[in-house]
Amino acid sequence: MHKEILLVEDNPDDVELTRLAFEQSRIANKLVVVGDGAAALDYLFARGAHADRDPSQLPSIVLLDLNLPKVDGREVLQAIRANEATRTLPVVVLTTSTEPFDVEASYALGVNSYIQKPVDFEQFVWAVKQVGLYWLVLNHPRTA
Amino acid sequence: MQDPNVIPESADDPRPLPAGKGVDASVGGNAFAKVAQPMPGDATTRQLQFFAEAVSHDLRAPLRSIESFSALLAARASDDLDDTSRDYLARIRNAAGRMSSLLVAIGELSYVGRAELKPRPVDISLMAEWVIAELQESDPERAAEVHIQPGLEAHGDERLLKLLLAQVLGNAWKFSADAAQTRIDVTGETDVAGRLHLTVRDAGSGFDMRYADKLFEPFQRLHGPEQGGGHGLGLAIALCIAERHHGRLSGKSQPGHGSTFRIELPAAPAAWPTNGNP
Repeated sequence: MHKEILLVEDNPDDVELTRLAFEQSRIANKLVVVGDGAAALDYLFARGAHADRDPSQLPSIVLLDLNLPKVDGREVLQAIRANEATRTLPVVVLTTSTEPFDVEASYALGVNSYIQKPVDFEQFVWAVKQVGLYWLVLNHPRTA
Repeated sequence: MQDPNVIPESADDPRPLPAGKGVDASVGGNAFAKVAQPMPGDATTRQLQFFAEAVSHDLRAPLRSIESFSALLAARASDDLDDTSRDYLARIRNAAGRMSSLLVAIGELSYVGRAELKPRPVDISLMAEWVIAELQESDPERAAEVHIQPGLEAHGDERLLKLLLAQVLGNAWKFSADAAQTRIDVTGETDVAGRLHLTVRDAGSGFDMRYADKLFEPFQRLHGPEQGGGHGLGLAIALCIAERHHGRLSGKSQPGHGSTFRIELPAAPAAWPTNGNP
């Protein structure tokens, strides 16, 4: 069974583009979308609106935007790394920013990879496809 | 323009740039936490840099929507569209592409004005070869004859000097597109004061010296888009990098006979007025 991909993204256009990019790359994993950092943490730790979820069922990968409402991406990353259950969960920052500041902060907080969203659609599809192939096919995940 | 004499924070701080710095400020904050980072320049300059970064960053997301959805529309509806409609969609995509490179350049101009310099020996010849290889790769059809004098050395920030060469060589490349042969020469010599005098000569279309004062002004173009003109920030970025290295950049030309750009940079730590510190 294909494990889920958790997309943490507040821009509905980017959600649609990411969905299309996975579709065009024939990546069939279910895409779960949450629009802010607080919802992302609720989903991962099965609380609040996601309290009925089984917290042991973690997504295969988290695609994380940095500038998010409520709880921003850096805080989400920090909370993921601070929790034993999600400490090694693969997190890929997928953002518009290439501010050296954001890049450094993300790596310091333990991100697995940092990708800038290209403006050009073909390049965007290519980038999402590479992320999918690497993390969902090539990479050997930690066996829980 | 950035005052080149302003010494960035912790010029003598041996810490290798980022790691811990700024991380705390970012956690728990939003993007505006960045403004708390000390940057060179006065308050107005800092505000302008912050504004430039916000603009270059926040405009990319809507631009991606414009670019991507017009690409998707072109792909989905192409068979139902007539040539004019397809042309309109292509124009939208091209405009988005131009705006995207403009935003990248605005971000770069702001970055080079405030980046912390980490001066060390830089192999300018190797770096110029690298920039030319990238230009050739992006334009494989172009037959180019490029000569780079080996052994050219500067003492400066590697990342910024690469960007400087990319701008100046990129210009030479761009304005040689219509020439019978792309010919670029990079030569240089180091004077007794330990300063490298670099010359980049091309055989391209050149520019009109009557407008030479506009050459390094941001957003000033001497060429329309049909003649290879871009966003008008490339040489402003290059000048800012040269000035931050206490160096110089100048250009001269004769239309139809190519352009010559001269870059002066420290070749050794002693050539910095501050003895190797930025």
